[in-house]
Amino acid sequence: MRFVLRRLLLFVVALLAISVAVFAMLRVLPGDVAAVMAGVNSPPERVAQLRAELGLDRPLAVQYLDWCANLLHGDLGASMLTGRSVSEQVGVRASITFPLITLGLLVALVIGIPLGCAATLARGHRARAAYRLVSIVGGAIPALWSGMLLILLFGRGVGLIGVLPSQGFPAAGWGAPVQALTSLVLPALSVGIIVGAGLMRYTRSALGELAASGYIEMAMSCGMTRTQAVRQVGLRLAMPQMVSVVGLTFAEMITGVMVIENLFALPGLGTGLVTDVGNRDLIAVQGELFMLAAFFLLIGLLVDLAHRALDPRLKASIGGNEVSA
Amino acid sequence: MKAAIGYAATVLRSMWRHAGGRFPLVVLGLWAAISVVSLFWTPQPLMRTDGYHTWQSPSAEHWLGTDGTGADVFSWLMAGSRTDLLIVILTVLVAAALGLLFVAAMVSRHTALAGASVVVVDALISIPTVLIALVLAVPMGASIAVIVIACGFGYGLNLARVARPQALLAAQSDYVESAVSNGASGAYVFFRHIVPNILPVMLVQLSLSAGTAVLAESGLTYLGVGVPSGTPSWGHSLATTVRFITVYPLTVLWPGLVVTVAVVALNLFGDALRDAIDPVTNPELRRAAGATRMEEDGHGR
Repeated sequence: MRFVLRRLLLFVVALLAISVAVFAMLRVLPGDVAAVMAGVNSPPERVAQLRAELGLDRPLAVQYLDWCANLLHGDLGASMLTGRSVSEQVGVRASITFPLITLGLLVALVIGIPLGCAATLARGHRARAAYRLVSIVGGAIPALWSGMLLILLFGRGVGLIGVLPSQGFPAAGWGAPVQALTSLVLPALSVGIIVGAGLMRYTRSALGELAASGYIEMAMSCGMTRTQAVRQVGLRLAMPQMVSVVGLTFAEMITGVMVIENLFALPGLGTGLVTDVGNRDLIAVQGELFMLAAFFLLIGLLVDLAHRALDPRLKASIGGNEVSA
Repeated sequence: MKAAIGYAATVLRSMWRHAGGRFPLVVLGLWAAISVVSLFWTPQPLMRTDGYHTWQSPSAEHWLGTDGTGADVFSWLMAGSRTDLLIVILTVLVAAALGLLFVAAMVSRHTALAGASVVVVDALISIPTVLIALVLAVPMGASIAVIVIACGFGYGLNLARVARPQALLAAQSDYVESAVSNGASGAYVFFRHIVPNILPVMLVQLSLSAGTAVLAESGLTYLGVGVPSGTPSWGHSLATTVRFITVYPLTVLWPGLVVTVAVVALNLFGDALRDAIDPVTNPELRRAAGATRMEEDGHGR
């Protein structure tokens, strides 16, 4: 219980720190919101007027508290360019990005865990080297390139087996569920392959450590075959660690899919953030950065709590606060 | 100095002995050589564009064909290798410096500083490098500095976290204690006793980071916040051709292939280096150490 309280406290403190950091960062950078909004060659009076309208002439502390108060209401301000609410924009974009990374993670799990097990079980020099090569090459492919190769293979109209759409998201959004889902298949595959190679490495090293620690031999001396021991004992023992890794991978994928979203012209969070940075839409960038950072912190919190709940060995150890592995 | 050269020669020789070490050595050697050559010579001048001969197939004149401006793809890839090499070297240097700084803080004898730095590293490490790069790009625009700072920062934090257990072990050892009681300064202890202990871990982690930096370069350049357009780089070659993938698939294949091979080589290099500098897995090193009498500096295992 003490651990949970302490972890929650750390979460709140980190969230506050992030909000200050994001707020300060975009104030310190040259060219404030008003100057950008007014344009390059506008007269100083116009900029000053805009500044007053936006409340930028007030003390920074007041501005910060104002921003925080709005945050609590879920109001991230309005985009300078489109005038639309930033929180609404984030919501629409997240409805594409989250299904995409969930699908990608599924692909990665389906590829990574069995291959990781197989790599642990592999006997013989050649087989081991082959598995190692697969994991290294899989992790070395640029996301841009894997996406392109998949388009060349399966892209509708261009691919060798052109069956799947390779560009854009249906205008109706999730109103057309079949089209929406099929437009996510190729992007999810291309990110899943790369993430899967990473998961394969984690699975292998986690299982390898367990095998070295004697659990697997113990199970085998009780009559299990090596394969059974790795699958039933090893995987279960590695579970808490794997849950952590999968959780953190999920968080990382939000920024990891930026390139893929761009390549496949999906209007997700990544594409949106890149566009807003390009347009110097500071209000939108500030809101989006805060949302993303808060999300990373939240996943970190959940992962730590889940790890703790899943692994009774941690509670037994004294103190047990070294969880952020 | 002489001992250091002998040590490096022994390590390189044992790396060369295995296929897993020879491949990265060959690729990295070629990479460095091509980078230097490209400064003086490329098959075609970089900026020669030719509106009549765009998207050519490979030929004797254009070894890998031409791109959408009629520029020679092979020449641009050659010139790109020097930009990528520069980015990799700078990123690794920044990461190493930052990593050492954080490690020094984390194993410091001032408990408050040590505790605070652990929390800070843990908090900062969850910020993705892409986000840092995007924030930096708001004032700086697309530049190599954005890649180097963002990646160097992120990889430095990673390095600190990976090297911390080993550094802590060394900091609590008897030889550090005796050095301190003899009046050695903190900096002396750190560089004389702690750094040699974490060097193997550092080298492996840094060579993995170097591979990630190449991938980051291609991604960030594609997103428009990396290498500015007009500067040759592998990511630039990949990004400028990718839009036309459906029309000219053959041109798009090469930059991706180059990046993949380079990253694989850097990853394998890290693994081979780890095996070669570990006296436990490399008997040759023990023999060499026995012959030249390794100095008693605390990292002889």
